Amino acid sequence: MVRASLQAIESAEFVEASTGLEAIEQLAVTRMQLIVLDLNMPDMHGIDVLRFVRRNAHYKSLPIVVLTTRGDETSRQTAKEAGATTYLTKPFAPQTLAQAVRDLLDAAVEASPRA
Amino acid sequence: MATGDAFFDGFLDDYFAESEEHLSAAADALMRLDKSIGHPPAERAAVDDLFRYFHTLKAISAMVELRPAEELAHHLEHYLRAVREGECSVTTAGSDALIEGTRRLEHIINAHRAGSPLPPIEDVLARVAHLVGTSGERPAATSAPEDATETGRRWTCRFVPTRELLASGIGVDLVRKRLGEIGTIVEAAPHVLPDATISFQFTLITADGVNVVERLGGIPVSVEAETPPAEPGAAAAEPAPAGAPNAAISHVVRVDLARLDHLMQIVGDMVITRARLADSLSRAERHVPAAEWRAVQENALASDRQLRMLREGIMRVRMVPVGEIFRRMPLVVRDLARENGKRVKLELRGQATEIDKYLIERMMDPVLHLVRNAVSHGIEPPEVRIAHGKSPEGTITLSAAAVGDLVTLEVADDGYGVDEEAVVNKARQAGLSVPSGPLDAAAVLGLLCSPGFSTKEETDRASGRGVGMAVVKAMVEELTGTMTLDTDPGQGTRFILRLPVTLAITDALIGRVGAEAFAIPQGSVREVIEIVEADLRQVEENEIVPYRDGALPIIRLSRLFGIASTARTGRLHVFVLGHGSAAMGIAVDRIVGQREIVVRTLADSLVRVDGVSGATDLGDGRVVLILDPAVLARLTNQRARRVIPDAAAWGRLPA
Repeated sequence: MVRASLQAIESAEFVEASTGLEAIEQLAVTRMQLIVLDLNMPDMHGIDVLRFVRRNAHYKSLPIVVLTTRGDETSRQTAKEAGATTYLTKPFAPQTLAQAVRDLLDAAVEASPRA
Repeated sequence: MATGDAFFDGFLDDYFAESEEHLSAAADALMRLDKSIGHPPAERAAVDDLFRYFHTLKAISAMVELRPAEELAHHLEHYLRAVREGECSVTTAGSDALIEGTRRLEHIINAHRAGSPLPPIEDVLARVAHLVGTSGERPAATSAPEDATETGRRWTCRFVPTRELLASGIGVDLVRKRLGEIGTIVEAAPHVLPDATISFQFTLITADGVNVVERLGGIPVSVEAETPPAEPGAAAAEPAPAGAPNAAISHVVRVDLARLDHLMQIVGDMVITRARLADSLSRAERHVPAAEWRAVQENALASDRQLRMLREGIMRVRMVPVGEIFRRMPLVVRDLARENGKRVKLELRGQATEIDKYLIERMMDPVLHLVRNAVSHGIEPPEVRIAHGKSPEGTITLSAAAVGDLVTLEVADDGYGVDEEAVVNKARQAGLSVPSGPLDAAAVLGLLCSPGFSTKEETDRASGRGVGMAVVKAMVEELTGTMTLDTDPGQGTRFILRLPVTLAITDALIGRVGAEAFAIPQGSVREVIEIVEADLRQVEENEIVPYRDGALPIIRLSRLFGIASTARTGRLHVFVLGHGSAAMGIAVDRIVGQREIVVRTLADSLVRVDGVSGATDLGDGRVVLILDPAVLARLTNQRARRVIPDAAAWGRLPA
């Protein structure tokens, strides 16, 4: 479903990971511009993945969109502190996610105009 | 639950299939646990298994975001973890709570599948929480701290992913899966090396003597054995021999039944084509020189053999052990026995007997019904049993056996037995027609299975799911099987279901009446006899012949279907079907032989004719009708009881 909503973004390539460890593995082997991270994963908590990524100096500024079913302020705060760039509460409209991703990518291009 | 998203639906289907497997395995482990409470090694094994199943159920439920299932599985897992770590021990109350929890989990998943509201879980959670009791709520992390009580060896395994490895399918999930098959992963964590490389570190506990490196089979993982501090000598443990236990590795592929059906259909078409080819070959024979002909013949025979092997191979793929039905029964029996204040022991036999998946799915409810009946109506309460000099604990035996192309399922109990008089009285009260005179088992069964017989029982929870005996019988017949009853007053009751191992392609005997050919499944034919027409006696509307010690009612297909007979004068060939009072003979002009036929069900109600279950093609393009023994048997019985007084009703012709 997430993938389908992102399909709207042209000129992007996607890699999928179904578990937390796999997500980290993909991070290790692929050069990523952005991560859409669902906090709900079978093996480890999404927040732990987030913290791991942020602990690593190479990925300090990598934009991460966090998806979750929990909309309360505490969860939001926890995610922000762990390093979420954007926080979306499910359910959301596909366009909302696509727009959030586009905004972040545009911002990243402006910040480091490489190509 | 259709979400309209094909990908997600497929995902959900996988989830349902997988959770069903784990639930069924959990039910099995629960029974083992129930029996082994207080017997450490067996108890420990059951707890470990359960822990694994609930852990997986939790994980897969989380993936499909089925929160209540995830939460419930989590709490069950939590309790089992406490047991594993010696914080509490398994009690009967604990085992009951686990059983209830498993059942609720199944309900939640089924409700989710059906799109109906999910049952609540709070009561079960409270029960489980009570068990864990004062030991306190521990945070459930995947990296649970391991205590020293864990036996076996500890290993530290490191895996560094690379793009190349991933491209060849070796990723962290595969590593984790393999390690999980070799032992128990107690910790899994990612690490960043100083040069920014990411690695994954797993802490694994295996049984003694397992060689992790060997078992990983070439997956590049660095493995270090940790030395158990207590017994340094064991660290030098010799590597496992090559034939180390490898039961954990799964070689199972799950295949959608529809794909197998498709393959089966292609094979079915090939069987027909092959028969046509044989026909063309026999006509071509005289135009081919003898030497050439031999080669043609050899190849034809070889392709015959291979086709048969292919067909058998595909059928074998569809076969699953009957144990799948049996597995859930112990829980059902245990619960129902408690509810009814009875003591019942369930014995399972022949669980490895294999039967077509299609059949097993349909037999689940009927067998369940028979088992429930055995508990609630078959077995006596302990006091009654003692008074009759029986052991206070009743026994229900559920057995399966394969005999040729048939599978026999038996549900037997050592209880009251069926009281013929009570059955007859009840049938009369229900307004059913009851044959006069002493009844044999087949007639009693007929009454038990009459629609409307067991109305009162149906409201009884024990009978469950609204599947009465009538439905059981209907299902067995739909699957072209038969059901018989064997009972001894005071000694017990035995229901015997005979089913074909598989449907679709079967061996059949072909009989001819006039110009028409009829096929009858070979499995249902008990005997083939020849009778002299002069021996036929007219009794009311039946024709009977002396047979063994009694009489055999005869149905002449020529009369049933209104076809002019061309039999040699005075002689008829008869297929004998059925047992006891359900036995009957089907008379044809002549018996042509035995063939492998492809059954095509006549599902169109406009084409349906009583007594005909389907049609087949013998290869010469002519359609052959397949007789339905069960319906023919019913027709004779009805006729015997004069339910159909109008003989003209028999003259209905196939369209």
